Amino acid sequence: MVPGAVRVRPEDFGLLFYDTRTTNLTFVRSGEQLAVASGAPGEERELLLAGGDGRREATARLLQTLQEKGLIRAIGGTD
Amino acid sequence: MRSAALTDEALRAPVNVTWEITEACNLSCRHCLSADLRAEQRGELTFETCRRIVDDLAAADVFQINFGGGEPFLRDDFLDLLTYAQVKGITTCVSTNGTLLDDDLVGRLAVMPGLFLQVSLDGATSATNDAIRGAGTFTRILEGVDCLRRHAVRDFSLNMVVTRVNVPEVGEFADLAARLGAKARLSRFRPSGAGCATWEDFRLTSSQLLGLSEFLGEHTEILTGDSFFSLTPESRRRMGLTMCGAARMTMAVAPDGSVYPCAFLTDPAFLAGSAAADSPVAVFRESEVFARLRNSDNAACSGCSRFSSCHGGCPAVAYFVARSLDAGDPECLMAALGAGV
Repeated sequence: MVPGAVRVRPEDFGLLFYDTRTTNLTFVRSGEQLAVASGAPGEERELLLAGGDGRREATARLLQTLQEKGLIRAIGGTD
Repeated sequence: MRSAALTDEALRAPVNVTWEITEACNLSCRHCLSADLRAEQRGELTFETCRRIVDDLAAADVFQINFGGGEPFLRDDFLDLLTYAQVKGITTCVSTNGTLLDDDLVGRLAVMPGLFLQVSLDGATSATNDAIRGAGTFTRILEGVDCLRRHAVRDFSLNMVVTRVNVPEVGEFADLAARLGAKARLSRFRPSGAGCATWEDFRLTSSQLLGLSEFLGEHTEILTGDSFFSLTPESRRRMGLTMCGAARMTMAVAPDGSVYPCAFLTDPAFLAGSAAADSPVAVFRESEVFARLRNSDNAACSGCSRFSSCHGGCPAVAYFVARSLDAGDPECLMAALGAGV
C-alpha cells in the first residue's frame, strides 16, 4: 500500500513518488511492472503489480527499497 | 532526489510550480528577482482564475506549489487560495519576507496541513541583512520568526540569498537558524529583476565560490533548494538534482499569469504562455520555449569532467552573461578552480 502521506503518479519511465513529509522525490524506473490504484489525495492507495515470473526477483528488491524509504508499506503494516 | 530519469524524457506535468502570486511587496530588497515584474505593473490574476489554475495543477497530479511574490501575505485572498490548494492535496510552500507574521496570521497558518514556510533573512547580523533588505528588517523578521515559534510552527526555514557581502556569515547564519528552531537554507543570487543591476556588486568571487562549495560539503544538513548544483561537492552529489529542473520538473507563473520555465528566466524570450488563458500544464507539455530549454545541450560544457554533476549549471545565469543557453554557467566549480584561487 502507498501511505496517504506519499503521492505517486505514473510517468513513461514508471512511477514518480513524492513524500509530502519531506518533499523528497523518488524516480522508479519500473516501466509497466508497477501501477497505482486511483484515490483521493491523502488516502492510502494500493500498489498494483503486473504479472511476469521472470521479473519477480527484481520487483521484490524494488518493493523492499520502497518500503525502506517509507514510500510503501506491507498490507497490515503501519505507516 | 534522483534526476537520472530527467535527462532523456519529459515528465507528464511539473513536479512543482513556482507561483509569484502578487506583485505587491512592502520591502525593496536589492537583489529581488521580481522587481522588474513589479515595476511593469502588469496586474494580478483574479481569485477565480487562481482557483482554475489550482484545479488544472491538481488534475495533473502536480505535487507542490511554491508561492512567492512580492510578499504573498499582502494579497487579501491568499489564505483562501492556500487552503484551496491544500484541500486539493497539493503541498504548499510559501516564501515570505517575514515582516507580516503576527499572532493572528501565524495562528491561522499553524493549523494548516501540508504547509512549509520559508522566511527570507539575508545575513546573521542586522548590519548585513539590513543593507540588503532595508533598515530595521532584521529585527522585524526575527519578531516574525519568534511568532512562528510561539505557535509551534515546525516546518519553516530561514533562507539566505548568498551574496558577496553576506557569504562570510554563512556559518553564523546556520547557527542562528538552529538557535531559532529553523532549518537553514541557502539559495543562489542570480541576475534577475533587481539582481541584474546589482550583479557585479553581489556575485561571489572565485575564492568565495570555492569556500561556499567546501562549506556546503561539510554541512549537508543545510538546504539549498538545489540551487548550487554547479558547485556541488562529492559529499552532496546524491542529495539532489544534478541539472537544472526548469522546464523539466518545474515551471513558474508570474502574478499576471505569464508562464516561464523558471522565476529567474523571465526575459521575454522565455515567455511560454499564459496561465490565465491556457492550461498551465498544457503549456508545460507543449510550449516550444520549454522544449528548447529541455533540448539545450550546453555545448560549451559537454566536454567537462564535471558535466554529469551539473549539466552546464544554471541557464538563467548563462543567458544573462552570454545571451545563450549553450554558454554554460560561469559560476561553476571548475571555473572557480580555473581562476587559480
